[in-house]
Amino acid sequence: MYTIANELKDKIVYLNKVLSEKYSQVLSLDEMFLREFIEENVGPIRKVNKLTEEELAYYYQKGGILGVDGSRNRVGGAYPHFVEIYQGLAKSTIYKDKPIYKADFYSPLYDEKGEFPIEDSIEEEESIRNRKLSTIEIEAALEGIRQLKPYAVIMDGSLIRYDIESFTRWMELRRECEEKDIILVGVIKDIKTSIIGELLKEDKELNIEECFHDRELLYGMLEYGEMISIHGEVTKKAKEGFSSLFMRSSKAPTVIGMDLLDSQKKYLEEMARLVLTLTPEDGRGVPLWIDIVDSEVKISDKMIRGLLESYLDRQILEMLFISERDKRTL
Amino acid sequence: MKVVGITTQQEVYVGSKDRNFRINEFLIISDPYQGDLMGEIVEAKTYNKYIPLSIHGELADSSVIESLKALGYNIEEDTIYIGKIRLLNEALYPVETGCDVRIPTFDEVKDIMINSPADEGLILGVIKNTDQMAKDMDEEYKNLLYTFEEGELKKQRDIPYIFNIRSMHQYPHIGVFGGSGSGKSFGLRVVLEELMKLNIPTIVLDPHFEMDFSQRGDYMPKEEEIDYRDKFKCLQVGFHVGVRFEDLSPQDLKNLLDASSPLTDAMNNVVDILFKRNDSYNSFYNRLKMLAEAQEEGSLDRIQLRIDSADSNLEREGWLKRKELFLTYDKTCPYNSVRGIIWRLNRLYNEGIFSKDIREIEDGLNMGKLIVIQGNTRILQVFSTYLLNNLYHRRRDYKDALYKKTTAEYFPPFIVVTDEAHNFAPKGYDSPSKSILKEISQEGRKYGTFLILATQRPTLLDETITAQLNTKFIFRTVRASDIQTIQEETDITVEEARRLPYLRTGDVFISEALMGRTIFARIRAAHTTSPHTENPFDELKNISKAEDEKFMQIIKNKLPINGDDFINVIKEIERDTGITYTVNIFEDKLEDLVTKGLIKKEKTPFFNIYKEI
Repeated sequence: MYTIANELKDKIVYLNKVLSEKYSQVLSLDEMFLREFIEENVGPIRKVNKLTEEELAYYYQKGGILGVDGSRNRVGGAYPHFVEIYQGLAKSTIYKDKPIYKADFYSPLYDEKGEFPIEDSIEEEESIRNRKLSTIEIEAALEGIRQLKPYAVIMDGSLIRYDIESFTRWMELRRECEEKDIILVGVIKDIKTSIIGELLKEDKELNIEECFHDRELLYGMLEYGEMISIHGEVTKKAKEGFSSLFMRSSKAPTVIGMDLLDSQKKYLEEMARLVLTLTPEDGRGVPLWIDIVDSEVKISDKMIRGLLESYLDRQILEMLFISERDKRTL
Repeated sequence: MKVVGITTQQEVYVGSKDRNFRINEFLIISDPYQGDLMGEIVEAKTYNKYIPLSIHGELADSSVIESLKALGYNIEEDTIYIGKIRLLNEALYPVETGCDVRIPTFDEVKDIMINSPADEGLILGVIKNTDQMAKDMDEEYKNLLYTFEEGELKKQRDIPYIFNIRSMHQYPHIGVFGGSGSGKSFGLRVVLEELMKLNIPTIVLDPHFEMDFSQRGDYMPKEEEIDYRDKFKCLQVGFHVGVRFEDLSPQDLKNLLDASSPLTDAMNNVVDILFKRNDSYNSFYNRLKMLAEAQEEGSLDRIQLRIDSADSNLEREGWLKRKELFLTYDKTCPYNSVRGIIWRLNRLYNEGIFSKDIREIEDGLNMGKLIVIQGNTRILQVFSTYLLNNLYHRRRDYKDALYKKTTAEYFPPFIVVTDEAHNFAPKGYDSPSKSILKEISQEGRKYGTFLILATQRPTLLDETITAQLNTKFIFRTVRASDIQTIQEETDITVEEARRLPYLRTGDVFISEALMGRTIFARIRAAHTTSPHTENPFDELKNISKAEDEKFMQIIKNKLPINGDDFINVIKEIERDTGITYTVNIFEDKLEDLVTKGLIKKEKTPFFNIYKEI
């Protein structure tokens, strides 16, 4: 029963071979050289310290920190027989009893504004869903800003995402933050950029053909508490009006990224210090506050199922959203 | 507080966001369909979903938690409290999930907490974790006692635990179990104090010489002090009390001899044959002695020779008597057995057992006093066998006479208390005191004779007796075999048994047949203290300090003392005080004072000079 098909094993051995060949170049790059290269071309590497108690007390006076995150649950089978439920949460460190929840749903079966994709284009459908999630997060953040007046807002994920997926609402949030001087930060747990990789590739002397991701290059390269603030000209994000940095925020070798509005560039280091302060030293590198907000916004699939079963007519539920897979018992 | 999760008819979980649960706390579940249900917390837990137990390092470290606190978010406020409630009485249906839980009022729990008026029962301590219900308690039950918590005397805040002594008529006998240092002897002391308060005739067998109630606890507030001095009497076996030989029956005598050292069948036979009613110690002893001497001669001819060659009439008569004994008893009483009896009798005699009687004990009991019988364990075994047989049968004869409508001298009901009970009624082998204790345990209830048996090894106590102990006080117990025994013999639950090794000194589970459940209580502070409470290491310190002071006094006016002058100084001291030192010891003692900093030493090229500081 537990025998493994030989072919599968061979495929995995092959994958290992290909990957180690591909990355031999990265792995063999001298760390000192890479650091110098980054300092020269990407931005300065600096060590930052945690915030002091006085600084934290100042933040508290100024309204605390607002954490924003969203979640999505999908029930049902293949297109178009599913429903996706979105929930956004903005939670302030000060007003713990006043969490701001926003909710929305999406189902291809229901055309909200006549914006159905003319063809069944999967990309377009996907973008609607992403927009819904982004919008709900932005709305939660907007209401949080208006009601709770925080010192800074930490959003889960890159800010550029909102810019792309929900432009109008995003501009609204952006404008309000700038007007009220509220610092807006996006914390990216999984960085997908390849800023350094592209620069390496461009450098003719190095003779590197592949474009590597930053995540791979920066793995284990920074010391705990070290950050790289990225020069505006090397990142595409700058065009959209963002400033970014990389930082190793915990003892784990992975690196996180952070986005700020360009107009709030002066807070770059300060926010790096804030995130460092809120991240457990032995953790995965994610600020505890984001984890807390995340755990509160998340709804278990079981709970969603329960909600649908309680509030949808049984017939509708069975007919539309119960897939063959859900009934499988083996 | 709400009922959460899956419920059953017996157990439910209750959750709260702001109130921690305490073990053995009583709560009322307001079930909308079944009405109020009473339950007891048997397990308490807290949980914080943001501070999970993780061994992979993903722990929110304290610096992050502190930082969040500085930003206004206290992660600890997200802690939730969960308690497991066991219902006192099984419900008809599983409890409704989500229904409210509240703290009961005193009236609601009175019946299950208190079953005796305060002035008629033994006020032994407090029922733990009942302070919230104690607020609206009847005045009668308030301020009855003090407890010791963390070395400090505390006023009563909880509901008192009052043992209903009257219930012993239905549910007789008490067992007190607990390892050494668990508060067992201390609990026994409190029980005895309460018995004295109620003037209940009591016999205490005290192998440790600790049940003396004349020393008052200096920690008690002055107005609360109670004087027990005229309520008890300490009597030492062989010194104050003993056995009147003339009153002994052959069985009594055999028991006594057997307790001294086990008897063989042949020895038993010797006693039966040689012991006559109304024998005095001397007449019995002489009979044995003469028979043995005759047997030592070896044959009738040789005894005859002794008679014929006797120098005086007295000697002749003596040997004639021996001859007569020899002729009557030699066949039935082997020499070795006779010697064995003599040896045992001698031993008892030397312990002084035959020099006194038990009059004083009987008088004390008749006056409702607590009689403490002291002696080493072996002597107590011997004596208690005789004493308890005697007293129990006096009581029994009186009650039987009442029943048969004849007359007998009045003898009061009484309680027998002993520590280290496994020595008196051991499991597995016979001991003379065991048979009487067994008899009392099985039928003492009818005659108003009760047992309170304390032991640190319930496993070693006779099982028939253990089975008769209707109330058990269980203090901290660490030995697995004893916990096993306790679990078999009482109604304590698995959870409670698991807590036994961790109980604080003075905390006790009381398993009472009358209550039908186990109560978690704390023994009150005793009014009196044991004479053995001084720490032996303090004693050492104090003694050496006193010695030093004494020596300082002696040499004080001799200082300074020159090293070449010791002889003269020693002579002077001998003349003044009569104490003699050798030069070496004297010098050692001076050096000792120097190291302790009481005098100082100056070195000169020739000798040391010891000076005052």
